[in-house]
Amino acid sequence: MTANNIVMIGVSTGGPIALKHLFAALPPLNAALVIVLHIPPGMDYRIARSLAALASMPVTLAEDGEYLHSGRIYLAPGGYHLTLEGNSRVILTAGPRVNFVQPSVDVAMKSLLKPLRRKRIIGVILTGMGKDGAEGVRHIKAIGGVNIAQDQESSAIYGMPWAALETGSVDFVFPPDKISQKLVELLSGPANNLTGG
Amino acid sequence: MDSRIMIVDDEDMIREAVEILLETEGMDIVTAAGGEECLGHLKAGFRGVILMDIMMPGMDGWDTIREIVEQGFYEGNVIVMLTAMDAPDEKMEGLQEYVSDYITKPFNAGDLLDSLRYYQSLLQPETGIV
Repeated sequence: MTANNIVMIGVSTGGPIALKHLFAALPPLNAALVIVLHIPPGMDYRIARSLAALASMPVTLAEDGEYLHSGRIYLAPGGYHLTLEGNSRVILTAGPRVNFVQPSVDVAMKSLLKPLRRKRIIGVILTGMGKDGAEGVRHIKAIGGVNIAQDQESSAIYGMPWAALETGSVDFVFPPDKISQKLVELLSGPANNLTGG
Repeated sequence: MDSRIMIVDDEDMIREAVEILLETEGMDIVTAAGGEECLGHLKAGFRGVILMDIMMPGMDGWDTIREIVEQGFYEGNVIVMLTAMDAPDEKMEGLQEYVSDYITKPFNAGDLLDSLRYYQSLLQPETGIV
């Protein structure tokens, strides 16, 4: 079964610890979770292995051409941009860096299409320097999705969450463990409740 | 076996205070008073968690990370900034992928230890238990 709902998480410096707190508190979800962490090749599999040890859902490095499945966590590998084709198929490309990084959160989020009725798109921006992800959350909002940003207090670097907030497209601001709670809440209710607030 | 920790800081007092804290916890510590010394340790085979100050005379923390990457010493290490700068400056642009964490001084000792243990666990060999 391909993914009904997609949660796309963009994160950079401070991310390994933020993701640890988020996934330690997260039960299995009726969604495919895609993590775009600014990370070089060689470190990506270490993060995936670490998350797999604590997450309630299977964690793998995303592979080119594979289809997303609900209840699974996919980490974008270092050295490639990740996009989704038809909100379901992973495409990895080597192209130039965007916002000084590869993978870029903006590139991944902007590949999302307006979901079919009852399907849900949720964007999450966690700690990191710069503004990668800001255009992404703007896009997610434009296609009817909901966005969550990490709060300042819990962010190692409050750059990306702040840049996302500045777009006016963020619906909720929380520390990682509360983001987990909000994801559960958003994904257990009917799609038409996903209007933010 | 847990990986080693390298403290890179030009201030003797900071370097020694962090070293004492981490050694008390049984961590294996190497120190460097600047970027050149850090690169020297890497050339000599150090692999582990690098706690990097930013503001240092000569090569600062960002210059040092650029050299680590360009000279091919990044693999097998985790880099964590430990700095008095509340927020990073624009010299960090392009280095985000290589900086796993950013901890500001004064730091909470318990939080620093928790983070370092986690980063050590990332560096465990493939067959190890995370």
